[in-house]
Order: sequence, then structure tokens, then C-alpha cells
Amino acid sequence: MTDSKYFTTTKKGEIFELKAELNSDKKEKKKEAVKKVIASMTVGKDVSALFPDVVNCMQTDNLELKKLVYLYLMNYAKSQPDMAIMAVNTFVKDCEDPNPLIRALAVRTMGCIRVDKITEYLCEPLRKCLKDEDPYVRKTAAVCVAKLHDINAQLVEDQGFLDTLKDLISDSNPMVVANAVAALSEIAESHPNSNLLDLNPQTINKLLTALNECTEWGQIFILDCLANYTPRDDRESQSICERVTPRLSHANSAVVLSAVKVLMKFMEMLPKDLDYYGTLLKKLAPPLVTLLSAEPELQYVALRNINLIVQRRPEILKHEMKVFFVKYNDPIYVKLEKLDIMIRLASQANIAQVLAELKEYATEVDVDFVRKAVRAIGRCAIKVEQSAERCVSTLLDLIQTKVNYVVQEAIVVIKDIFRKYPNKYESVIATLCENLDSLDEPEARAAMIWIVGEYAERIDNADELLESFLEGFHDESTQVQLQLLTAIVKLFLKKPTETQELVQQVLSLATQDSDNPDLRDRGYIYWRLLSTDPVAAKEVVLAEKPLISEETDLIEPTLLEELICHIGTLASVYHKPPSAFVEGSRGVQHKRLPGSTLTPSHRRPVLSALPVDNLFFFVCSSTIQLGGDIGGNPAMGAAFGAAPATMPASFNAPGSGGLDDLFDLGGGVGMPMGALNPPKAVWLPAMKAKGLEISGVFVRRAGVIQMEMTLTNKAMSVMTDFAIQFNRNSFGLAPAGPLQILTPLSPNQSIEPLNNLQVAVKNNIDVFYFSCQYPISMLFVEDGKMERQVFLATWKDIPNDNESQFQIKDCHLNSDAASNKLQSSNIFTIAKRTVEGQDMLYQSMKLTNGIWVLAELRVQAGNPNYTISLKCRAPEVSQCVFQNYEAVLKN
Amino acid sequence: MTKHFASTIAAMISQVFILSSQGDHLIYKDFRGEAGSDVVGVFYEKVTALTGDQPPVVMNHGDLHFVHVRQGGLYWVATTTADSSPFTLIEFLNRLAALVKDYCGSLCEKSVQMNFALIYELLDEVVDYGYIQTTSSDVLKNFIQTEAVCSKPFSLFDLSNVGLFGAETQQSKVAPSSAATRPVQSSREQGGKSEIFVDVIERMSVVIGSNGVVMKADVEGEIRVKCFMPSCSEMRIGLNEEFSIGKSQIRGYGAAVRVDECSFHQAVRLDEFSSSRILRLCPSPGEQTVMQYQLSDELPSAPPFRLYPTIERDSGGRLLMYLKLRCDLLPRSAAINVCVTIPVPRGSVSVSQELSSPDQSAELKLQSRAIEWRIPRFPGGTQLSALFKLEAPALGPAPLMEVGPVVLAFELPHLTVTGLQIRFLRLSPVQPGPSQRWIRYVTHSDSYVIRV
Repeated sequence: MTDSKYFTTTKKGEIFELKAELNSDKKEKKKEAVKKVIASMTVGKDVSALFPDVVNCMQTDNLELKKLVYLYLMNYAKSQPDMAIMAVNTFVKDCEDPNPLIRALAVRTMGCIRVDKITEYLCEPLRKCLKDEDPYVRKTAAVCVAKLHDINAQLVEDQGFLDTLKDLISDSNPMVVANAVAALSEIAESHPNSNLLDLNPQTINKLLTALNECTEWGQIFILDCLANYTPRDDRESQSICERVTPRLSHANSAVVLSAVKVLMKFMEMLPKDLDYYGTLLKKLAPPLVTLLSAEPELQYVALRNINLIVQRRPEILKHEMKVFFVKYNDPIYVKLEKLDIMIRLASQANIAQVLAELKEYATEVDVDFVRKAVRAIGRCAIKVEQSAERCVSTLLDLIQTKVNYVVQEAIVVIKDIFRKYPNKYESVIATLCENLDSLDEPEARAAMIWIVGEYAERIDNADELLESFLEGFHDESTQVQLQLLTAIVKLFLKKPTETQELVQQVLSLATQDSDNPDLRDRGYIYWRLLSTDPVAAKEVVLAEKPLISEETDLIEPTLLEELICHIGTLASVYHKPPSAFVEGSRGVQHKRLPGSTLTPSHRRPVLSALPVDNLFFFVCSSTIQLGGDIGGNPAMGAAFGAAPATMPASFNAPGSGGLDDLFDLGGGVGMPMGALNPPKAVWLPAMKAKGLEISGVFVRRAGVIQMEMTLTNKAMSVMTDFAIQFNRNSFGLAPAGPLQILTPLSPNQSIEPLNNLQVAVKNNIDVFYFSCQYPISMLFVEDGKMERQVFLATWKDIPNDNESQFQIKDCHLNSDAASNKLQSSNIFTIAKRTVEGQDMLYQSMKLTNGIWVLAELRVQAGNPNYTISLKCRAPEVSQCVFQNYEAVLKN
Repeated sequence: MTKHFASTIAAMISQVFILSSQGDHLIYKDFRGEAGSDVVGVFYEKVTALTGDQPPVVMNHGDLHFVHVRQGGLYWVATTTADSSPFTLIEFLNRLAALVKDYCGSLCEKSVQMNFALIYELLDEVVDYGYIQTTSSDVLKNFIQTEAVCSKPFSLFDLSNVGLFGAETQQSKVAPSSAATRPVQSSREQGGKSEIFVDVIERMSVVIGSNGVVMKADVEGEIRVKCFMPSCSEMRIGLNEEFSIGKSQIRGYGAAVRVDECSFHQAVRLDEFSSSRILRLCPSPGEQTVMQYQLSDELPSAPPFRLYPTIERDSGGRLLMYLKLRCDLLPRSAAINVCVTIPVPRGSVSVSQELSSPDQSAELKLQSRAIEWRIPRFPGGTQLSALFKLEAPALGPAPLMEVGPVVLAFELPHLTVTGLQIRFLRLSPVQPGPSQRWIRYVTHSDSYVIRV
């Protein structure tokens, strides 16, 4: 007689029959009947109608039968709460049973019955069981507190169970400790700010002691709890590490990973010159290597974790390259992960070995794997310069096989190699061109087109090649279309005579026959650029490209830090923070490594070598209107703020549609392209700003101070979320546009010139600070002409101490010309007097903050040296004003 | 559905279920009331829809994450809503499967179905509210009441269903490991028959470059004990005395046995290990891995197989592959079930072959684009040869690049490549009545690649 027969009963009178059997006098029969009921339950049949009959079997001294009845109760109590009360008496009685197995069974089952009415009856038995003499009962009771907390948190707090649970952390039995820790950890997570799991050196010590004695599963609970502790200093950190290290040789990989997590975290606190730090690094490698001999499922999970560890601390596994070589019988998902780690570990020391492996992989059968292997060769070339030549020749060998997908992948990576090492390997272009016809994947086609466009001057029939692609322009994917457009424009700029027709054809295809806004916009920009200013077009389109970064696909550092704190968990497999996939993540705090200096806004750009589309760099031009808002002239600031936007500040994602802004195609613009535009100075070199270059100039137009900036994205990733902020400055310049406020820099004005402006520009990557000087004439307002009388009175009124005199040398203007010139900068001549052949010009100007500056300019015919006297209530500005005179007059 | 909080506790299981390969529900246990039983169907749909290149390890359905392993043709699944540790869940499921095997005697749909009450009882003791409690059969035997139900009487000669070390094996003719296929508990009643099985199993991964140089050679090994000794309180396993761990040790002359890394089962006491290489343990009833070890980048002896290929194109456009395969084992040993896989170029249509003895066979598998050459028994110190003529009317421009690497699969019975041996096996107290001790050695190929 076997249990399987229970699964076969499906007759109609089944319930009725079971009922009769359950009420039988014979114990064996009863037991068989309960088993049948549970079998039906498992396959999803509703046997809740038998509730009273099953509960009747509960009072038995047969433990096996009792367990079966409890199993049934757990499942159906919720749907039959009134009936469940019937069972309470037996539960309470069982909690007093002399047999600890029965006591534990009763308290365990009661906790699983999620019926409010039962919980009241549960409290007393639970209290007793928490103090039971038998550890098996105590550990079951500890878990039961967590169960009860989930049903009724208030009750648990009111009854003081949490305190009892805390006491159990010091229990003599490690199993009890482990369960108490688990229960407390879970309860603590629903009260993020509570001090439930009060980790201090004493409790940590207790946990570490229990760690050595409890089961492997208990060790995991304790290690995970330890990982949440932040040691007070490096010595405590080291002593915990020392006591955790033996876990690394545990046979259970979950224990090993939990230990690795603790060590990776606490290592952050150890000084790197400490001997122990080096010892620890060495100890971490073998257990990680051991994980790779497990079954493929564990291997995969381990590799995902190793991928994180290698990014954080590559030194741990730098000598273990060989263990990541793929085995022919690894499942494909394991192979791909291994390949990724191989590239991360590739260095000059092991590159020969790696390359030999990759070459073998590239001839295997599995298409996905081969593709990734070919790409990996390219990534090696970019990462390890010494290997580049060998990589290129390997890639050429692979192209010779003429296996379609191999050729395509090779071309995609060769394009990246050209980017990284310009003017080195272009001799292979001829070989690449031979394979033009076999390319059928968009990425490979785009890469090839890029190569043809980029090196058009070296490819004799470049125009023919590109023309052949143009025939099916509308059937191509967007990335190919964009690339083709750019390539033909490049070709035209390099060989204008014979390709005029071609460029016109592609421009009209892109702008008139396409529905794709990206393509159209790019087309229009080229078109206008070419028709307005071919020289500028050449500068923009054929500009020198920034080098591509060698490390690709790096995880963003803040995320990496968080993932390191979650080593061994699902987060480390998904490579996503737990908040991204765990429900109710309000309880989950973002974890940080101790001593981390990164703030969430502190991000490194992740430059990718792969996307072809980004090979054109995005240039975004923007103008900000400035308004003065301090210094007693609020009306002025308001006026500026409200001034109609001639050049709306646009800081939206330059990566996606940023080209729109390049030459302001919006229409109705007051500024003709390329004319009257003072040259821009580089304010923030790209080197200092992770690829963002800012150059700019200040101009004053129609009463509005404008700060014109060109933001150039020289990195390869899209920059978004721009915002700007000025530091407090002498004249209260502030952006008038609706821009985001950032923390200002600390005031530091005494050393800087008055007209120094400290600016912060933020994007999705970082905040960049730079300073630039604006000509003070920006601040001269249009109504700066003083009444004569007022001028005289003011001149007298200002003490002579405030007067300063300057010489302007080598100026050959006559006084009228000088006056006119100055007027265009809002320096107004109020009166002119000629004394002894010397012209005296009396001038005034007013700053945005209401400060008046009065000037006396003496010009002697025939003498190129002018003398200027400035009087101002704020004499600090005089120096600037003088410099401005000099600049305007000599310009 | 009840309210619950997201948790990052590493070992938290929401549900455990066991499905047959057809998706029948065999066991379903909900520990935390976080999800309904309908997710069982969801899981089966997802797992059967997976393609080969998707990692099957972790799958999710909304906030519920599935982790599963396959053992005995069944799906063993754990679900969780928290940021649990997949390592914990996978290890747990493997242990659970081992426990079920220990308790029910064998692992198959039928034995699980027959023993569902026992398995529910086990699950109740093994996991409480999603926290794993214990998976030690030693501890569990105090709690478990239900008797296992066996489908057929236990027989020493029932040699089916051998699964070793995660690898499929054709071991059945060699050793009686599967004799251990019976429930642990029955020994309580049977009393009479006491037996113990100690297996030393090694897997080797070797890569030999086209120039004949060994580029990589790793060995992973383990010692497994399966114990049916009702009265055994302690067991001592003596390894080779010259056994050493770690790279730094200076090796003397003679046959020192060395491994790089070693890990031991929790129950193993090592107080006599450093002095006399003795493992002491109290074996729990059932199967356990006592020791795991590995050796990387080094083999104590020459790799067991070498290949000397000659490949050329003849005038008729055929590809001629002349392969000489040498077995470098000692003459008294032999490899069995050797299978040589030779990848061939795209466009190959058929093959004609000349093999050196009639018991060998070879076949062109077009689907995997490879020739499979099978050798049932290959004694040490001998050499075999084969000539394959490949008809390939539409060869690519570089066909020779597409040949290889050659992969060998084989078994080496009665042999460990590291040289690890069990010196003795002592049980205390001295067992009354007849007891059987089985010690066996086997080495498998894990990934044996020869590049051409």
C-alpha cells in the first residue's frame, strides 16, 4: 500500500467517504483518511468541508497523525476562522505537553494560522515557550514572534515579546541565537529607525561566538546581520574580519558568499598599507575560484557576483585568469559571463594568453558566443595598447573565414579600434571594403559606413561605395541612415568637387522624404551649415574626435557600492538595487560601503565604445539671460527677468535633440549666424569636466545681459538634466531662466576680480564648477546718462579719496570717435570741453545695481596717451571700469 | 494576500514546491502566505518557455522570484519576495533533494508522490516561516515520524539511477554505488545489514594547445560517504600520508599528492588531519560530501590522452582527417566510454571512415556539425587511429580554421588523477556482525579539449 493511491480518488462521493473514514474508531484508518485529505489539498481540490472532522482527529497521542492534522489546519484555518477557534483549546493544551516536540509543533502551527482571533490565545503559550527549557521549543518560539508580528505588530510590542527576543540573542544555544537574529532582522526592517537590533561590540561578540557553533543556515543569518554593522575603527574591523575569514572555506556556497560580503564591506575600513589588508585580499581569491567548480546554476550566480567584485577590487582575482577560460560544455549563459570577466581582468601581463583563448572561441559553433568573443578581441585591443596590433591581425584572420556574423562583428570592433588608435591601422581598410556586400546587420553596416566616411580621402571609390548604400536608403534602419548622412557630408567636405550631387541627394532624402525627426534635424543642420559657412561646417563635422574610453560597461560607482553591500543576494544577480525589484521597498535602505565618499550625484560617465550613433558629438549652444537682483535695484532685476526671451535658455537633453539648438533653427532670431559674435573663450575644458566642454562669452543685447555658452559633449554618453547656478557675486548676477538651484560655492570674493563669476553647471554626470570673467560693460545700463547738473553735484559730492587716475596708452582715436565707441557700451558723454588743445570728456555710466561711475577723459590731439579720472562711491569698481575703457577703445 | 514588508534577509523562502517534468504538482508548501498557489503554473510556463541561452537560474513574476534546480527529473522550486540569496536557495534545494533521496530511497516522481506525507513533515522541520532551520539528516531523524514507502525492495544489484557529482555517468558496470539507493530510515528496522560507501570522484578539465603544450589542467574532486551503519558513532578516513594542501609546500621525492584548496563538511573534525591526514567524523545516515578539493594548473602525471591530427584537402575537394589518439595511462588501467567529438567545417555533407578496430564507431552529426568517434574501452599505453574523409562540396574559404577543437569525454575507473587514495576506513565502535565497506575511485572528463 503506497501513498500514491491518495492521488487517484476523484469520485463524487469522495468527501462523504472521507468523512466516514475520519470519524472511524481505528487510528490507522483515521491516519490514512487524513493523508488522503492532504493529498487532495496538494493537487488543489477543495477539502475545506472536512474541517470539523479533521479537527476532531487533533486530540491524539499519535505524533504522526497530529502533524498531519496541523498541516491541514494551517491551510484551511483562514477560510474557516470560526471553526479554527475549536482548535485553540488543543493548541493551548499541547503547548504544555511534556514532550518538547509537541510543544514546539503547537506553537509553530499556531503562528502559521493567520487568524486574528487566535492570536489573543497565542500570547500566553508563546510567552512560556520563549522561556522553555528545551532549545528546540525556544527557537521555534523565536520564529513565532516574527510570525505574530506580521499578523499584529502592535500586539507583539504591547506584550513585550521584542525584549524577550532581544534576550535570546544571548541564548546558550546557537540555533536559538540564529533564529532570534533572523526574526529581529526581519522585524527591524519594518521599523527602519527602531533600535531593535542594537549592534554594539558586545552583541557582535556574542554573534561571532555563536557563528562558530551553529548550523550553516544559522551562520548565514548571523553573517548577514554582521554585514549591517559598521565597526567603530579599523581595529575592530580587522578583528571581525579575522573571525569571519574561516567561513570562507565552508562547503556551503551561501555561507561563503555571506562571509565575502562581510569582508568586502569591512575591508573598506582597513588602511591599504596594512599587512592584514594584503593577507585578506589573498584569502578572498580561493573561495571565489572554488565556486566555479559547482554546478552551472551556482556558477552563474557566482560569476555575476565575481563580476561585481572584480570591478570593485580587481586585485583579488588578477592572477586567476585561467579559471575563467570557458569549458566547451559550459552552458552558454555561463560562457558569456566568463567572457565578460576575462576582459575585465585582461592586462598587459596576461593578454597573450587571453587573446589565444579568444581566438579559439571565435571559431566555435554557438553564434552568440562567437559574436561576443569577436567583440572581446576588440575590447582587448582598446584596453591593452600593446596588444592592439595582434588583435587587429587576429580580427583580419577571422574576416578571412568569411563567416558572415564573424565578419560583421569584426567590422564593428575594428571601427572602435580606429577611434582609439587613429592613423595606425587604416591599412586594413581595403580588406574591410571587400566584405561590404555581405553585411546585413544594421550595426555592421553603420560601422562600415562610418569607416568609409571617416577615411573617405584614402578610399578611391568612397563615393561609389556610399552611393551603393544610398539606393535603399528608406529600407535601412535609423542608425544606418544617420551614419550614411554623416558619412556623405564628410565625403563632400573632403572631396567637394565630385560629390555635390550625392550630398544633395542624401540631404533631400533625409529632410524631405523621411518621417524620422532625428534624421530630419540632422539633415537640416548639415544643410544650413553647408550653405551658410562651409568652413565652419568643416570644423564641426570633421572635428577631431575625443578618444574612446578603454573600460566599457562599467557599473556606475554608486550602484556598484550598493551592489557590493548586497553580494550573494538576488540584487547581485540582477545587477539592480533591491529597491528596483522588492515590493514595498520603503523599508529597504540604500546601503553604502563604510567610508564611502560618493554621494548619489557623484557619478562617473560610463563611456561606451560600442554605439556608432554617438560618433558625432553633440554640440549645444545656449544663451542665458542674466538679471541683477541685489544692490538696491530690484526693478532692474525684475525687468531683466521678464524681458522677452530672444534666446531662450534651453538646457534640455543635448544628446537626443540637442542639435536643434546648434544654430538656432527655431526662427525669429535676432542674431545672424556667425556675425557680430564676439569669440567665445573656453571656460571649462572637457578634460576637467568629464567630457563636458563649456565655452562662452558675455554680451549685452537690447538691454539684456546674455551669457552665451556652448556646451559640447565630448564624452560619448548622453548628458541630460542640465542646470546652472552662479555663486554670489559682486553685481548680483543670477540666471533669469527657470533653472535649478544648487548649493552655492563658499564666498571667496576678496582675491578674485570683481567681475569674476563662479558658475556651477550640473548635468546627469556631475556638477562642474568654473569661473569666468565678464566685461564690466555688461553691467552698464542704457539709462546711464546723467543730467549735467546732477553730474556736477555728484562729482563734487564724491570725496577726492575715491578718485583714481589711469593712463590709457597707444590709443589713436580722436575724442569724438572715442565718445561714439564708448556710447555703444553704454558709457555716455555728458559734456565736452576743450582746454589748451586738450579735449575733456565728462562721462557717466550706471551699473545694474545702481552704482554710478563718473569719468573725466582727457584726450590731447597728437598724444596717443589718454588720461582718465574715475570717481565712484564704490571705488572698488574703478579698476574694472578702467580696464573696460581700455578694451573698448583699443578694440 | 496579507501585508508584508520587503526584506533583505538572505535566507527567506516564501514557498517551496516540487513539480514533475510534466508540470504536475507533487508538493506545494506555502510558508509565509505571500503568494497564491497559482504561481506554480506561472513558474512552469516560464521554465518551459526558456530558450537555451537564457540563464534559468533566477526568474521573476512581479515581485516573486523563482529559484529552481532540477534533480531526479523533477523541478525543485523555491520562491521569495525578498532580496534573498540565490546561493542559499540553490544550496537549500539541493540539500532538500538529497534529504528526500535519503529518506525515500530514490529520487523520482514516483517516490516523491508515494511519500508526500513524509516530505511535508520534512519541510515543516527544515523550514519555519521561510527561515531554513536544518538540513542535517542527523538532527532531523529525531523529529521525523512518518515511515518511507519504497516502491520496490532494495537490491544491491539494482544499478539504475546513478547520478554522481552532478555529472551523468555510465558507471553502472564498474561499481555498485547505486546500491546505496535506499531509504536511510529502513536501516533502523532492518538492523542487520550495515554498509558504508566511500567514493572518491574527480573531474578533470584540460586544454591542450595545437602545439601539444598543456595550456590548462584543473582537477576538482570530492570524497562522498553514504552510510547505513546503525550503530556507528565515529568513522576515521585515512588519506595518503604525503597528502599536502597549498602551493607553498616544498615537495620531496616520491609520489606526493597535492591539492590547492580543500574544504570539509561541517561535521568533519580535523584534529588528526595535520599530523596524520585522518578525517574524523560522525556520519549522519545518508549521503554527504565529506571533503572537496581542487588542483589547478597542474597534473601530477601526463594528461591521459594526446591527439596527433593531420588534416589536408585532397584533389577531389574532400577534407582528409587522419587522427592518431594515444592513451598515456598506465598499461593496467583503461579509459572507458571514450567519445571524441571533432567539429567539422560548415557545408560538410557526409563522411567515410577507416577505424583501427571494429568495436569503435564514428558518425557525422550534422546538427552539431561534428564527427563523434566512440571507443568503448581504451587501455593505457595503446594508440588508436582513424581516417575520416569528409565530403563537403561547398567549403568556405578557410575550412581548416573551422576544424576543431577536439573534445574528449571519458571515464577513468579505479583511478584518481591527483593520486588521492583512502588508506583506511575505521569505524568505531567495532561493528557487530557483517558489515560491507565499499571504496571506489573514478575520474571523469569535465572538459577535455585538444586544439588542432
